[in-house]
Amino acid sequence: MTDFDWQPLLLTFRLATTTTLLLLLVGIPLAGWLAFTRFRFKPVIEAVISLPLVLPPSVLGFYFLLAFSPTGFLGEQLLAWFDLRLLFTFEGLVVASIFYSLPFMVHPVQAGLENLPASLREASYTLGKSRRETFFRVLLPNIKPSLLTGLVLSFAHTIGEFGLVLMIGGNLPGQTRVASVAIYDEVELLHYGAANAYALLLLVISFGILLTVYAINKRWVIF
Amino acid sequence: MGDILMPMLHLRARMNLLFASGPAPLEVDFKLTAGSLTGLCGPSGSGKTTLLRILAGLTVPDSGMMRVGDRIWLDTAQKIQVPTQQRKVGMVFQDAALFPNMTVRQNVEFAAESRRDSLVDELLALVDLENLADRKPATLSGGQRQRVALIRALARRPEVLLLDEPFSALDYETREQLLGELVRLHRQFGTTTVLVSHHQEEIQRVADNILELKQGKVTNFGSPYTAEKESLNPVTGIVNEVNVRETTTQLQIRLTSPIITVNVPSDTKEWHIGEAIAVSIDPQTLTRKAD
Repeated sequence: MTDFDWQPLLLTFRLATTTTLLLLLVGIPLAGWLAFTRFRFKPVIEAVISLPLVLPPSVLGFYFLLAFSPTGFLGEQLLAWFDLRLLFTFEGLVVASIFYSLPFMVHPVQAGLENLPASLREASYTLGKSRRETFFRVLLPNIKPSLLTGLVLSFAHTIGEFGLVLMIGGNLPGQTRVASVAIYDEVELLHYGAANAYALLLLVISFGILLTVYAINKRWVIF
Repeated sequence: MGDILMPMLHLRARMNLLFASGPAPLEVDFKLTAGSLTGLCGPSGSGKTTLLRILAGLTVPDSGMMRVGDRIWLDTAQKIQVPTQQRKVGMVFQDAALFPNMTVRQNVEFAAESRRDSLVDELLALVDLENLADRKPATLSGGQRQRVALIRALARRPEVLLLDEPFSALDYETREQLLGELVRLHRQFGTTTVLVSHHQEEIQRVADNILELKQGKVTNFGSPYTAEKESLNPVTGIVNEVNVRETTTQLQIRLTSPIITVNVPSDTKEWHIGEAIAVSIDPQTLTRKAD
């Protein structure tokens, strides 16, 4: 237990919180657009969003590595314009995590919106409300369980990141050494006690989060 | 509000639809007088709901023109399509479409111009819903929900009120009651109204006009009497002649014509004498006795 340190756990939760908050801003409008658009290439967009569900994280990590590297197209531009490095930094982990957890936010919210009766949206329009007002005052408040599911799954999925972090973040204490990487690292060094502490805490916290969600969702019966 | 002269509505539209029998165009061209209540009827799948949606702007026809008062809401030739939000329509959906996250009062306020709009309280009182104002829609009965939907649509102060089979899922008694309330509110607000119903008899009693659709074509448009005329048997023909539509409550109402006189007994326990009501006889319920 001597090697146990709170830093990887705190970093994990900082990463998960930042990612989830940014995903709320990106994922909800995206889910709203996907739920109601008649865009011809919607299946292409949906497939791209869902890629992290099926691809090994190392594939995603590999391409991020190429894109974020100072000689890569994206990395070069970000460095030149914003002096921003995404490889082996916390910021890089956040950007990658957003893509990695995007389907976990978009899918539940999109499904929630699609399952609402169309008459709710149309009734709001006939009452003179704009699309935006309808979205925020009528649609979103009526899919609270889906929003909560999206929020928690994104958070939990980010906590569970490993391969992607290892590929583009490495193992820098305080910067990119999240709990899942710390566990791997401690096992490599045969520090089973420390590994067990990280693992057990992640297990208990993740279970607690999921249990809370299911309990709350059971109570939220709106129709 | 009743004395504001409401606009006349003119719709001409054409749209290709897929009916049970195959593809066919919905083709309509009609004018509604200001303040009228038009019953839109026809077999299911005849295009009634589509027509209502075109009026509301929720569906755009392939071609057509729509004028309400002196304003154009739709003109496909000139690429004019006023969005639903900017049309002053009130719509009552079959499933009421109340917002589950809002209370009864919040639902009505949502439609009103402001939260302090006195029309909200007035409407809640008119349909006896003041006591349920703080309840969520999920806790209401079907009839109560449709009442809320009706006053919510009126709170928008619509120029055209559209009702898409609002009472079809309700039991007979509740339907009758709500129909009575609809007639009362229509008289009070004088809003040009289109009521979709598959109960022909229901429409006959309350509507000024009947618009009958079959496979997307208007097969009948006129007063309820002429719409029914061709299919009438001798008894219903006579009854329709004496069918009065508006009177005041009395101990006994007598409907007279040169041919027959019908006494309608009234239940004085339920009625207040002198109140304005509409009375009619359902011809289908009468039979002719041998002399």
